[in-house]
Amino acid sequence: MRLAGVSVDIERVPVLRGVDLTVHRGESVGLVGPNGSGKTTLLRLLATLLTPARGQARLFGAEFGSRECDALRPRIAFVGHTPALYAQLTLRENLRFLARLTGRPDAAADEALALVGLAGVADRRAAGCSQGMQRRTDLARAVLTEPLLLLLDEAHTGLDSSSAPLVEALMAQVAARGGASVVVSHDRPRLTAAVDRLVEITGGRAVENTVEDAVVSVVEREGV
Amino acid sequence: MTAPAPAPAPSALRQGVELARKDLVLELRAGEALRVTAPFGAVALLLIPLGVGSDVPLLRQLGPGMYWVIVLLFGVLVTLRQSAVEGPAQLAVLRLCGVHPGVRLAGRAVANAVLLLAFEAVLAPVVIILYDPELTGWPWLLPVFPLVAAGLALLGTLANALAQGMAQRTALGPLLVVPLTLPLLLGATQVPQAARYGSQPALWLLMIFTLDFAVAVAIGLVARHLEESA
Amino acid sequence: MTLFGRRLPIATALVTAIAIAAATLAPPDQLQGELQRLMYVHVPTAWVAYLSFAVTLAASVAWLWRRTPRFDRIAASSAEAGVFFTGLAIALGSVWGKPTWGVWWTWDPRVVTTAVMFFVYVGYLALRQATPDPLARARRSAVFGVVAFVQVPIVHMSVVWWRALHQPPTVLKPGAPTIDGRMLTALLISVLAFSLFYLVVLRARVRLAVRTEEVEAALAERDQEPAGNAVLAPQWEKKGLRADV
Repeated sequence: MRLAGVSVDIERVPVLRGVDLTVHRGESVGLVGPNGSGKTTLLRLLATLLTPARGQARLFGAEFGSRECDALRPRIAFVGHTPALYAQLTLRENLRFLARLTGRPDAAADEALALVGLAGVADRRAAGCSQGMQRRTDLARAVLTEPLLLLLDEAHTGLDSSSAPLVEALMAQVAARGGASVVVSHDRPRLTAAVDRLVEITGGRAVENTVEDAVVSVVEREGV
Repeated sequence: MTAPAPAPAPSALRQGVELARKDLVLELRAGEALRVTAPFGAVALLLIPLGVGSDVPLLRQLGPGMYWVIVLLFGVLVTLRQSAVEGPAQLAVLRLCGVHPGVRLAGRAVANAVLLLAFEAVLAPVVIILYDPELTGWPWLLPVFPLVAAGLALLGTLANALAQGMAQRTALGPLLVVPLTLPLLLGATQVPQAARYGSQPALWLLMIFTLDFAVAVAIGLVARHLEESA
Repeated sequence: MTLFGRRLPIATALVTAIAIAAATLAPPDQLQGELQRLMYVHVPTAWVAYLSFAVTLAASVAWLWRRTPRFDRIAASSAEAGVFFTGLAIALGSVWGKPTWGVWWTWDPRVVTTAVMFFVYVGYLALRQATPDPLARARRSAVFGVVAFVQVPIVHMSVVWWRALHQPPTVLKPGAPTIDGRMLTALLISVLAFSLFYLVVLRARVRLAVRTEEVEAALAERDQEPAGNAVLAPQWEKKGLRADV
């Protein structure tokens, strides 16, 4: 994943200005910055959901908006801060719907739900589930679709102490697969412990790579 | 730098069926189309005679036309129902699933058509009981129901996509759809008349089909452009 | 955009003057008398209405193809002009219809199709109004502009068939079967005058759109700093609030 001088405007308001960021295979990156600094926008951009107004963005070498890049979309898991569930479907139906759309068996959906510890409540409608349960179901999506690029917004919000390590486990899984993770969190100590390096966004203008003491050494490999 | 192989994707048909099925399950649970909009349409059919006079021959003549006007006006609301709206988060998931925007619209249109057929089926006995319309040549109506449902479903799908994320969605949608449904209305009302007077009802069916086909092709061509990227 | 520069308004004024003279000098209609002179404004208005929507269609297709903001401005400006001229054509038709046929409205296919077009493009303008983001607005209205115009021939055909079944009385047919040469000349000059006037209006509207965008860009310049920069840390200490209680 490589961004070079990328800017994004939303409803004419500039949100990101000249961002340069390269994320390598097997790497996990933590995004930090104050409210409104453009963290979510950057994540949505990395998910190919936004097109840069200026600058160049590539995913696995494929230019954003190209056919090759579109074909890679199913390998991206984006978990935003609002749950992407259909409120009137049960948790199981929500995941099975996704499994079928991506050509996976129903059993894979059930397995993913069990993995996040929700097998017992799988037949409850999403509307009747707590924020934390919906959040975990969203994370189960990221288990199900076996992503090469994992994007988590406010990764630790709404998760209890027993399920917070789930985030780290997911990141490790993606890295083992040869993919990369970019994670936003306001739980800075937790994030620092979990990622290879931290990237700070200041006012959407520049991304400064601030390597903190807990950072694992970054091995330069193929750009993701 | 080698790009990884894309995940194997199911056929567009299978995706479309899944999307339509999801829409129908959601509607079944929300009940907006059949438990709210359909009774609303029935009330309209009940009020019209009170406005124009409950004269039996007059109502007999008005019945079929009123039925189709109500189907078109209220059917638009069926296509704009709340359960047919994806939030930004859900839309992001669908886009990342690799579902082509055309497939997404097709799935929605199929679900709309099924619901509109049900909507027509619910209102038909109401108009028969209240207006006692002449029913000679009724077998010709059998193809009219699905053809009108399909046309309205397609136009409604387009309007819903155009008004995506707008506060004025349910106000704007009908204005975009209803003027273009004029051929559906004329076709639906003329088929039984043509059958009764021995002219050619098939021509009117062809007219409705032409509209359905043209809208489907137009949506297919522009679907790619409806993909919001900003 | 300098489409013919200053010569365009001058030419328009000149042709309009000639058109007025020609319409005044043309002989009155045998049946309708002076009333028939409404034709010299009604027919060109309707023509310009259709011309505007055709331009909107062409500009919409061009936008989808090239994604140049200029095409979006032309499409929108032409649709606005089109809605105005369509409304005017319908109103003038009504004014002409009342004394001639005794009714304000007739179910002539052309009239019905024109009315449908009027509402379709009112919808088009409402769609634009409701979409704040310029890119989304251009995209959505271009898509609707294309689909809507494609449907118009089908709408027209359906009403033609419907009228054919209901056999309209022949006396209600507007105009005489043959037209006097001087009348035809006057009509053609009028059509030319109205077309030129449409160009003047379109050009002015597009220029206005450019100016509007410039103003908006200037306003945006003020907020050039990304929104996040203006978000400060909470100022609760100033209010005497304490975090450690």
